[in-house]
Amino acid sequence: MSNPTFWLLARASGVTAYALLTLTVLAGLILKSGPFGRRLRAASVADTHRFLSSLALGAVAVHGLVLVLDSTVKLGLGALLVPGLSPYRPVAVAFGVAAAEAAALVAVSFPLRKLIGHRTWRRLHWVAYAIFAAATVHGLAAGTDTSRLLVLYLGAVFAVVAAAAWRWLTRTPKGETHVQTRDRPLAV
Amino acid sequence: MFKLVIDRSLCSGFGACVDAASESIALDQSGLAVALVRETGDPAVLRAASDCPMGAISVEELEAA
Repeated sequence: MSNPTFWLLARASGVTAYALLTLTVLAGLILKSGPFGRRLRAASVADTHRFLSSLALGAVAVHGLVLVLDSTVKLGLGALLVPGLSPYRPVAVAFGVAAAEAAALVAVSFPLRKLIGHRTWRRLHWVAYAIFAAATVHGLAAGTDTSRLLVLYLGAVFAVVAAAAWRWLTRTPKGETHVQTRDRPLAV
Repeated sequence: MFKLVIDRSLCSGFGACVDAASESIALDQSGLAVALVRETGDPAVLRAASDCPMGAISVEELEAA
């Protein structure tokens, strides 16, 4: 039997990347909807969101690299970059490749905000939902230990759906503004 | 009238405020929000404040003269 080290590393880094991606999305949703009010400083949540996204991308990079080094699935560099070229579960892996590339695009857009415009940058962030969905499909369909990790996937989907629903329910409708008392700022 | 105050130390340059109140707020060269007016009658600044995820914008209603 071949050395399973890289395969185990690939599984571990994949699961870690998925968990970090979930936390990144949750931090972004918390930043936008502020469910904890002033108990959480927005600046801290924003820093956490950025830090988690960097960690998630790092875990994704390790995941891809060790899969190329591993001999179990024989994944070439081309299959790592082009969705559908993987000989191993091509559709499931394609979801992962597309999710990783889209995540890299969203991350790269942050320092390029001035160039692409802040509105485009914020619109690009909507892709995060598709990235999370594609990563979930990838994890469920490509992983060899899905049944043992089902709780992780179900918990992640529930948390993101709940946080997104909270954001949608608490949004300020267009054209509506806050009306508050005079003894404190109308809006902060 | 509304008094507009932007705490630039909190601003992260999301730019949602500019979409809401482009006549009162802009992003400067460093990508941070800057108030174009200190006082305005435009209620859009309320929307700008509520859209800011960083809580960097505060709007205060001024006493009528």
